[in-house]
Amino acid sequence: MPRDPDIPPGWSYNPASWAQRLPIVAAAILGFAIAGYLSAFQFGWIGSVWEPFFGDGSREILDSKISRLLPIPDAALGALGYLADAVAGLIGGRRRWRTMPWIVVSFGILVGPLGAVSVALVILQPTMFGEWCTLCLATAAISVVMIGPAMDEVLASCQYLRRVYDRGGPFWGAFWGLSAGGAIRPEVEFQGGSR
Amino acid sequence: MWAQVINTAIGIWLMAAPAVLGYGGAAALNDRIAGPIVATFAAVAVTEATRGARLVNLPIGLWMVVAPWALGGPTTAVLNGMVVGGLLVGFASIRGRIRERFGGGWVALFRADTGWARLPEHE
Repeated sequence: MPRDPDIPPGWSYNPASWAQRLPIVAAAILGFAIAGYLSAFQFGWIGSVWEPFFGDGSREILDSKISRLLPIPDAALGALGYLADAVAGLIGGRRRWRTMPWIVVSFGILVGPLGAVSVALVILQPTMFGEWCTLCLATAAISVVMIGPAMDEVLASCQYLRRVYDRGGPFWGAFWGLSAGGAIRPEVEFQGGSR
Repeated sequence: MWAQVINTAIGIWLMAAPAVLGYGGAAALNDRIAGPIVATFAAVAVTEATRGARLVNLPIGLWMVVAPWALGGPTTAVLNGMVVGGLLVGFASIRGRIRERFGGGWVALFRADTGWARLPEHE
């Protein structure tokens, strides 16, 4: 069977394939929907929020001082984060680990901190307020589950940039996808992985 | 993979443990901080390309064994901490099967002689 030329050299699969990326995008859209619902409560557009387990927990957490530290409520910020994740997950074709590393790296940078902030907020819920918020936990879980699957693509892009750098190619040109890695001709890239 | 799924569940259990077992104070605070962190790194380590994240739970597991003693919790908190800590260390140590190849992995970013550079076509 001929090898798929879009697979990075030394890899057994293509981390930028749609089968790899679409589940992450789906998770981001689900996170966007939940965070959007929670921010609708924080903006006062809806009067109550669904909370099956922790009584007044969601209301207390969503109305807390910490949620209003920034100019916009924290759930709205989360919703924007998920939206950015979904968009960054969709941009580019199945060769994007090589053709547009900048979007892959941006995607990784967006997914990482969103997860970190979510986890920090999960720690704050019981320790500062003695309450839990079911949907807040759900969005946090989504943002954490996205991290692992998103990172393999980042690794492939970073390895590619390292190869360009090692060969004396234009690092930034490759990063922005302006040149095909200079010293690395695409056909050499492909042969490199055809083991 | 399964070892990291189990550690994820243990992290979630730590978040609930103070309420379920009925203890508060510093031991409960410790569990509520450690729980989400343990669950996060274990969940990230479920994916093969980021399996290395499991190692973060080694020191956290060791800390969980001694924490209830150091922080002074009731017997249930001490027992829970020792069992949970032991399990965390055990499962975090398990690398599990890696089916895919990742061009030399993350170390390839720091060493020019790994992965692609070593492939026969370029020697």
